[in-house]
Amino acid sequence: MAKDNGGILKWMAEYDRRYVYLALFLVMVGPLLRPIGMPISVSPDTRQYYQVLQQVQPGDKVFFTLNTEFSGYNEIQSGIIATMRLLVEKNARVAFGVAHVEATVIPELIVKAVQAEMTANDYQYGRDYIILGYIFPNEAAVAAGAQDFHSVVTQDWLGRPIAGTFLDEIDDWEDWDLIADFTTGIATSYLINHYALRGTPMIMNCIGVMIASEKPYLDSGILLALLQSMRGGAELEFLIGHPGPGLTAMDGFSFGHYALIIFILIGNVGYFGYTRQQQMKISKEAK
Amino acid sequence: MLFSVPGIINGRFIGFLLDIAMAALVYYYIKTRKMVHIRRVPGLDAIEEAVGRSAEMGKPVICSYGIGGFTYWTLAGLSILSHVAHLTAKTGSRLIVPTGGGDQSLIVRPVAEEIVKTAYTMEGVEDQYNPDDLPFYSGQQYAYIGGYVGVMQRVRPGSVIMTGSHASEAMNIAETSNAVGAITITSGSYISNVAALACASDYILIGEEAPAAGAYLSEDPAQRASIRVQDLFKWLAIAVMVLGIAARSLGNDLMLRLLST
Amino acid sequence: MAEILKNRQLQIIVMMLSFLFVFLPYFLNVPQLNTASTKLITITSIVTAFTIALAVIAQFRRGMNIINRRSRGWYFKAYMLVTLVLMLGFSLISRETGPYHWVMFAVVNPLSSVNYGILAFYMASTAARAFRARNTKALMLLLSGFVVLIYQAPLTGAYFTGFEPIALYLGSTFAMAAGRMFLISVTVGAIVFGVRVILGNEPSVLGISKEEQ
Repeated sequence: MAKDNGGILKWMAEYDRRYVYLALFLVMVGPLLRPIGMPISVSPDTRQYYQVLQQVQPGDKVFFTLNTEFSGYNEIQSGIIATMRLLVEKNARVAFGVAHVEATVIPELIVKAVQAEMTANDYQYGRDYIILGYIFPNEAAVAAGAQDFHSVVTQDWLGRPIAGTFLDEIDDWEDWDLIADFTTGIATSYLINHYALRGTPMIMNCIGVMIASEKPYLDSGILLALLQSMRGGAELEFLIGHPGPGLTAMDGFSFGHYALIIFILIGNVGYFGYTRQQQMKISKEAK
Repeated sequence: MLFSVPGIINGRFIGFLLDIAMAALVYYYIKTRKMVHIRRVPGLDAIEEAVGRSAEMGKPVICSYGIGGFTYWTLAGLSILSHVAHLTAKTGSRLIVPTGGGDQSLIVRPVAEEIVKTAYTMEGVEDQYNPDDLPFYSGQQYAYIGGYVGVMQRVRPGSVIMTGSHASEAMNIAETSNAVGAITITSGSYISNVAALACASDYILIGEEAPAAGAYLSEDPAQRASIRVQDLFKWLAIAVMVLGIAARSLGNDLMLRLLST
Repeated sequence: MAEILKNRQLQIIVMMLSFLFVFLPYFLNVPQLNTASTKLITITSIVTAFTIALAVIAQFRRGMNIINRRSRGWYFKAYMLVTLVLMLGFSLISRETGPYHWVMFAVVNPLSSVNYGILAFYMASTAARAFRARNTKALMLLLSGFVVLIYQAPLTGAYFTGFEPIALYLGSTFAMAAGRMFLISVTVGAIVFGVRVILGNEPSVLGISKEEQ
């Protein structure tokens, strides 16, 4: 009930932002600690991404590029692991390359996560997959690798020569069958400029804030598919029938969005019920 | 494709032509040294108001120019930094310039130091220049945020002017600036940032407004020539879009084939 | 020799040639040019990687200067230099296991993730604060924001399918148009900036201040 001078309405108009932080924290962490298992829908973009991966043939050479720091990895890891799982099931040959120093240890996290599938499909290091490490420090490296791969990359991430691995079949951008880019925006534009625009098929899993900037590439056909943030990763996990960190987070994800909507509504009620009235009162008094 | 040009890779002729045309126009404008007219960007008034307000309250001004290397946005940020440094030197406010945030930021830092020092010298208050007010907060983005947010919490600035190339740290900085009660003026160099910064800032320079503001302030014929050429090509892009939409609506793919040449 | 290398005209000529070596092979199909271009780009990527080493040395010099002067916060600089040396050492010991691994997973990952995660709270408080229907335009923004927010929650699509076409329409028209506009602006701006640099009208890129010109 509103007190005189609009007590509750005043609070609704001017609530401390820390209430938002607390509410968001509770609604997101609660379902993580005690999962509910709410249903999700699958967006058309995720279905398109899944269809592209279904077309990967055994033996296809896939460049698995990690343009992310550890922070971004936590958002898109569901998409990364689900994609890797699918690629292993398709018996694709995968080369990991990273574009940030923090991401150098991420490929081994991915390999560990899909170890069971890799063992079942008899994946051998060098023959079926290889970890190249930090090979994209700048655009010049990406450009050089696109024109002559072996001039830029001669060793894997542990210093072992790549001669004798499946990378012997790679000379330039034309020899890759697919680029799967997982990005927070570090070297993605370089990969698009030097690979995708030259015709190398490319798919992407990006963080949420990048979706608006990457959608034009999807619309124009430069990207074959775009997996959108953690939600896309969760949808992909659902499609492949292998729940993981993405699906686990979707309950909190949904509740977080609803909590934010509620706070926006509260703010607007407070705005019309208190702030606007105060402004009208002040302008009347000024007259 | 409409036609192929011998010697040029298929599908790249129009791009090549456009690049040459842009280069030729920029060269023409630079060589004529004509001071191209650019309207005053409204954001500059907001910057002057913000610095004035900080001076009245006796609070410092924080101004950053981005975390990237020598890019288009960083140069715009440096031009605005120069303007702000002149203003703070005139008003006697303290200017803090957090630097760092990227691998290339170390290369830009000496230029920023020089800009601020020159501004203070030109205003006749060289003794007020303090090199410790241009702290380097690491070449790592998130460590930079930590330092930037920390300095805002400690000094409680009257205004925060964040221009140049900022990535995800822009949101952190804008929201913290709002929380400490400072006037927040930002520039969105990435489409991803624009939406969030538009909500978080008191004033935002969207996209080209920041380089245009930089060109306006610098009074450099080359920078203004660039802005003019960009405008011309944007008009060309609009014309191509309109023609293309009209052609496609009539079932003709001439424009599409022309652009794919 | 140093004076020759500092010559501005020489620097601009080198820049122009480097630009042509990379620019022309993209448009012209000349195999010899492709080979030379690849070699030059490879050299450039190595030189650029050395700037990281330069950055470390510069940090050391600056840090030692601050520590010697006992400036404000000198102990933070000392801590930074100690951790720098430690990580250097750890990476030389082993990359697969050991202290480097531990620091990456136990220190770098959580710190990096926390800073990134905080963004979600900041975005939420910003949205909660800024989305007010002050006028017609703000109301339209609010309504479209609502639709997109509701659609983004995966639970919504499972029960209310009506939001999807509207949200997808907003994303594929207005948001896409804004994205394309930005792409065009940024691309044209980058090209024009590059031309200015090659013509020598951006001395700051070469490390030359206006006073030295």
